Amino acid sequence: MTLEDPAEKGFTTDQDELLDTAEQSDAEAPDRHAPDALTVEPGGATVVLDEGGAEPAGVDLSVLDRRPAAGRPHEYHFPRFERLVLSNGLTVVHANVPGRALLAAQLLLSGGAWTEPAELAGVTVLTGRAMPEGTARRDANEFIEASERLGAEMHADATWETLSASVEVPRSRFGPALELLAEMVAQPAFPGEEVERLRDERLNDLMQAWADPRRRAERVFPETIYDPASPYSRPLGGVPASVGSIDRDAVAERHRQLLDPASATLVVAGDLAGVDVAGLTERHLGGLAPASTRAASQATDDARAAAGGPRVVLVDRPGAPQSELRIGHLGVARKNPDFHAISVLNAILGGTFNSRLNRVIREELGYTYGIGSSFDMRRRSGPFVIRTAVESAVTVPAILEVLRIVRAFRESEVQPDELSGARDYLVGVFPLRFESSAQVASALAGLIVFELPDDELDRYRPQVAAVTAAQIMSAAMSHVRPDELSIVVVGDAAQVEAPLRDAGLGEVTLIPDDVPAG
Amino acid sequence: MPQPPADPAQPSAASDLPTIEFSQRRLPNGLRVIVAPDHLAPVVALNIWYVVGSRHEQLGRTGFAHLFEHFMFQGSRHVRKTEHFSLIQGAGGVNNATTYFDRTNYFETLPSHQLELALWLEADRMATLLDALDQENLDNQREVVKNEKRQSYDNRPYGSFYEKLMAAVFPVEHPYHHTPIGSMEDLNAASVEDVVSFFRTWYAPNNAVLTIVGDVDEEEAHAAVARYFGPIPANPAIRQPAPDKVAGVIGAEMREVVADNVPLTRVHLGFRCPPFGSAQFDALEVASQILAGGRGSRLYRRLVRERRIAQDVTAFGLPLVDEAAFFGGWVTVRPDSDAEACERAFLDELQRLVDEPVTDDELARARALIEASELGALSRVEEVADRLSMYAALFDRPELVNEQLGRYLAVSAQDIQAVARAVFRPDNRVVLTYVPREPDEAVA
Repeated sequence: MTLEDPAEKGFTTDQDELLDTAEQSDAEAPDRHAPDALTVEPGGATVVLDEGGAEPAGVDLSVLDRRPAAGRPHEYHFPRFERLVLSNGLTVVHANVPGRALLAAQLLLSGGAWTEPAELAGVTVLTGRAMPEGTARRDANEFIEASERLGAEMHADATWETLSASVEVPRSRFGPALELLAEMVAQPAFPGEEVERLRDERLNDLMQAWADPRRRAERVFPETIYDPASPYSRPLGGVPASVGSIDRDAVAERHRQLLDPASATLVVAGDLAGVDVAGLTERHLGGLAPASTRAASQATDDARAAAGGPRVVLVDRPGAPQSELRIGHLGVARKNPDFHAISVLNAILGGTFNSRLNRVIREELGYTYGIGSSFDMRRRSGPFVIRTAVESAVTVPAILEVLRIVRAFRESEVQPDELSGARDYLVGVFPLRFESSAQVASALAGLIVFELPDDELDRYRPQVAAVTAAQIMSAAMSHVRPDELSIVVVGDAAQVEAPLRDAGLGEVTLIPDDVPAG
Repeated sequence: MPQPPADPAQPSAASDLPTIEFSQRRLPNGLRVIVAPDHLAPVVALNIWYVVGSRHEQLGRTGFAHLFEHFMFQGSRHVRKTEHFSLIQGAGGVNNATTYFDRTNYFETLPSHQLELALWLEADRMATLLDALDQENLDNQREVVKNEKRQSYDNRPYGSFYEKLMAAVFPVEHPYHHTPIGSMEDLNAASVEDVVSFFRTWYAPNNAVLTIVGDVDEEEAHAAVARYFGPIPANPAIRQPAPDKVAGVIGAEMREVVADNVPLTRVHLGFRCPPFGSAQFDALEVASQILAGGRGSRLYRRLVRERRIAQDVTAFGLPLVDEAAFFGGWVTVRPDSDAEACERAFLDELQRLVDEPVTDDELARARALIEASELGALSRVEEVADRLSMYAALFDRPELVNEQLGRYLAVSAQDIQAVARAVFRPDNRVVLTYVPREPDEAVA
């Protein structure tokens, strides 16, 4: 089965993927898909086995004796994009991507879950989910049917930074789809019974998450490293106590707070040849008016670490055949000046299949199917985390080995081949990340949400290519701090607790396997 | 190809869909090669399908096709253990491989000027894999795969459903009776000799399809493939197994209740159905869109939104080609409802597909969503390459890449009713219910 791949998390150091990671770190999406094929998830150590081999008579494989050289690189630029401002102040950013007939549009309302009150945590996510559930003109079924007739996948969702409404639709139906999107954003009805149903589903989902070791670890880890008053300590979608108190009025009020065209941006990407972007957006979104109440001022403070230093937390899961591990501490915000050095650093440490972590923990020791590290860069300091799942019996050896690798990272500069491999990888895969309209739109959304300069994506490749070993060492000294690492283990306490306490990692807090309150 | 009926309600998006132009050739050693130039971005996707999967495994060696797939990354004559990955990543590319019932595929997507590197890597392991094989690699990858099984199935709520459903829908002597991950016992029993024998039995140019899609010159790409793969000898002994004859239906309803570490009860359903590639399977795909494809679907509307008895619903077919395939779905039961009500409501919706034709509007919406989804899928070179290889390897018809959408659009309400009548029968279903384990029950 295609996994929720821990190593994939390591690729999370760029603008476009940041919107996703906020959601991923909450790990909310239940697995609703058909079983897929099994994948390899390789990484590597080195064993030289070049023995040569005899071929049958007449077989000449000498063409394989020489590794081919690369040809001449073909030019690539991130798609050009332009801005226009509608009569109500709403900004439109549009990129023409020839040949991509499935268009993507995202309307970003600024102010996401970060600015919601703790007692209503989850209200912004629920507001997004409730937006397609009926408008002033149509009930929930009529609205969804209208979008389906266009072949339009339409939804709204929240991140820490935004509430966004998005659609993917064939270009021949872009106009009517944009009209529906505007209707959903401007006039959602928030029917009481649909909001209650979505709230109940979120509460049920929290119960489901409790029983899933990966989702349990994703919940406990931020609670462990962040100050409880910091929004990043909780799931994006809220916790049972807060979600239970959300009603139709709270959702409608949240929508009013965030609906402000002057601070909103519509991003459009795809094959826009012959599409009247200016006319269609003015017609459907130019009339969008600010709501009567205005958003509370955007908080500007950063996320805070939990007081009292790093912790070791063991969540008991009796009988578990593996331990889910999360090891990390507070990371950095997206606008950190070390962004490019951190990207290369992470690729070497745990962001690629042949990273130091995967090479040892998987390919040498066979402890896991995969291990990865990531800096989840948000507007404020998101987590730095190493994720893996290891066989229960090797839980403590795996933790010790991870800690050894992390410490060693700061003891000597990265090797030249590691450095060039990581830089070439990040530079080379850059165009692969923008094949679809939706990927281009997400990258543009990242520029808006993180307030990055327009040439950020053009500068990415030269800046990554220029990262030096010294810059990586300097970034590691600032942003990878072995003495501050907290450790979360979701595993079988009967097997894991005693060795964990004996390992000298610090005091161990045991969370018993009980049913969640509320 | 049947023409889709006109839909007067909406302009067709089919005009938005590009036609994939490709050429195919066969090397003297039997390797089938497909090249489809696409110059929109300076990237290229390379994909090889070997026609060997878990279906081809011997009794007592389940999980072996997948374990073998891992060995393909442990080196070959000119490539060190795991160097495949470092070379592809260092070239600015991504790669992976997957194992399924009917096939195993290997693929790379990378900057287009690096195509030859990928061809060389694939050719080296096709020709000389066994040079790098040793016990240490076997032991290491066996542990990795066992951890994959623990992570993906054993330590996951409802994690055993796939294995249990396939075992119930297909008889013990049928190759789909077991899933590609196999059993821990069989993985433990695998030996170096098994790996050698598996490679010699199945991995050869005449049992593979190679597809290149992207920013390449068509002639140069064909020439490069011939250069690297042409010298690899064919294996004339390869014979694909005869189709496994199996009855159209299971023959009796099968039920099982599983106590698991889950907070919410979930009812899984499984059916035996006509194979992928048949018109009936296309009709089932459209039916699954109407049943559970999003918030406008029948099951979502009825069970989740209106009656509020379900937390979530799903329905899907598995694209299997050996005479029969699998269709299934599940409903997760809300805490204030019960399994019986949800099962009945799900089955009622299946029966409704049997009793009355779907409406014109439902069919039009399903078609529009399928069109958009195809449009998205075919905008990625990796997906186009995968489909070309798939249609060539499984059906000998790569041109299906341009015909499949038309086949979906040609499915009529009567087609759906006919296949529903054949498949959604009480004597053809498996009902697998996961219930929360009582606190004092022993842990597995």
